[in-house]
Amino acid sequence: MRDVYVVGAAQSDFGAFPDESYRSLFKTAFDGAVDAVDGEFERDRIDEAYVGTLGVGGRQLGLSGPAVTEHVGLDGTSCTRVENACAASGVALRQAVLAVRAGVADVALAGGVEVMTDMSGEQTRYWLGVSGETEWERMAGTTFSGVYAQMASAHMAEFGTTREQLSHVAVKNHGNGAKNPHAHLRFECSLEDAVAGPSVADPLNLYDCCPTSDGASAVIVASREAAEDLTDRPVRITGTGQASGRVGLFQRPTLTGIPATEQAARQAYDEADCGPEDIEFAEVHDCFSIAELLAYEDLGFCEKGEAGAYVERRATFPDGERPVNLSGGLKSKGHPIGATGTGQVVEVFKQLRGEAGDRQVDGLSRGLTHNVGGSGGSVVVHVYEGGWA
Amino acid sequence: MGAYLSVPTWWQRLDSRYRLVLGRCTECGAHTFPADGPCVECAAVDAFEEVEPEGTGEIVAHTVIENGAPPEFAGLLDAEGAIGAVLVELDEGARVPAMLTDCDPHEHGRGDRVEAVVRRIYEGEGVVRYGAKFRPL
Repeated sequence: MRDVYVVGAAQSDFGAFPDESYRSLFKTAFDGAVDAVDGEFERDRIDEAYVGTLGVGGRQLGLSGPAVTEHVGLDGTSCTRVENACAASGVALRQAVLAVRAGVADVALAGGVEVMTDMSGEQTRYWLGVSGETEWERMAGTTFSGVYAQMASAHMAEFGTTREQLSHVAVKNHGNGAKNPHAHLRFECSLEDAVAGPSVADPLNLYDCCPTSDGASAVIVASREAAEDLTDRPVRITGTGQASGRVGLFQRPTLTGIPATEQAARQAYDEADCGPEDIEFAEVHDCFSIAELLAYEDLGFCEKGEAGAYVERRATFPDGERPVNLSGGLKSKGHPIGATGTGQVVEVFKQLRGEAGDRQVDGLSRGLTHNVGGSGGSVVVHVYEGGWA
Repeated sequence: MGAYLSVPTWWQRLDSRYRLVLGRCTECGAHTFPADGPCVECAAVDAFEEVEPEGTGEIVAHTVIENGAPPEFAGLLDAEGAIGAVLVELDEGARVPAMLTDCDPHEHGRGDRVEAVVRRIYEGEGVVRYGAKFRPL
């Protein structure tokens, strides 16, 4: 198999942008990714494009991939839209990696876009409820936050995870996001604030939930031969893994973990010839605070049931043993559904190249991204190393 | 507006909506709700015999939704102030997602015994949809 490198990655600001369209947001991300390529880069070098989007609000129900790639001038380039709910662009990246490995493409684009803030509250709730299992789970009155709240209730009962431990995730991620100029919610919060937020779906409160955002992100990957031409500071994708799980929580074997995360991580670790102990930092899918705790356990960063204590002892804070969500995560940076997966890659790319500004953690050489669709129906994990490796 | 679940789709599994009809796996004996798709335990397909459960079980996961209900339940949330959304593990073993009813959802949670009753779930396309909710025992 051919080695695959990230040679450019960027995102638009995440937030609420009534003056922007899904096309203009994607163009901002794409232009940024091209600018991030060190060498001369002509866009016609892109052989294959994969665009992740859920299409919230149904704004471009069909052909939403080609609709954004045509806008950035990729006329004629093969483009495929990827929809795996919130894991859409993480899966788009995997498709780009597979295309380069297979020799179908020397250079491939993976990206994502979503516009979520220009709808009424009723429409937003309509669309986001659909991310879970529709026929039974949603018809039982369970909102998307409600599904994660059910997992939180089970984790708290089974392992003694506390309200304060959930809130440490919010404190950490807001602290990180406050330093990220692209983040949606750029404010810090105290533990007291995070504990006392208004209830959304008990036991989760407002500070346990990520916002809905507008935004786009784009990543350019290349074969080694093409990458040598384009950059002196490559980031190698050393492992990719993807798994599906039962879409509805009620049909899964566990309520306190996401089996598809374990399976996807195992594949990615095997490919990268490493284990969780070798991962120095990660961007994980923290759509809700409990989701980040489940990720620590399912990715093997700590033992099952110990994620609450793990964050409480600041292991995943920037000064801890394994920083997680240095970008601010979905919680603070924002969650424009289709843009989230490749948005995570942007942070890993910057951290490994020492370009993360105020939130740079020095000396990082191996990182991971973890992107979840729905409440665990699809999970994709990638492992990265700086340099030609 | 509500989630699009067409009337024919709703009617396809009325036995499971009203009486929680389960699939008992002829390969491993585990119970799956509804009686459709693969066994939750061993993933065997086309291996269910339909079983009507007692309708009693225990809450294994619990949330109280006070904000952001999907549109089809917005009226219920306004009227009740809070919706208890739970996973119930039936005594036969299958897990069922459902609402709590006839109680204050804040006062019930994991470990509580409940029984199924038929209630109005929501109205879609002008048709009132009925199904199972659970009330505390």
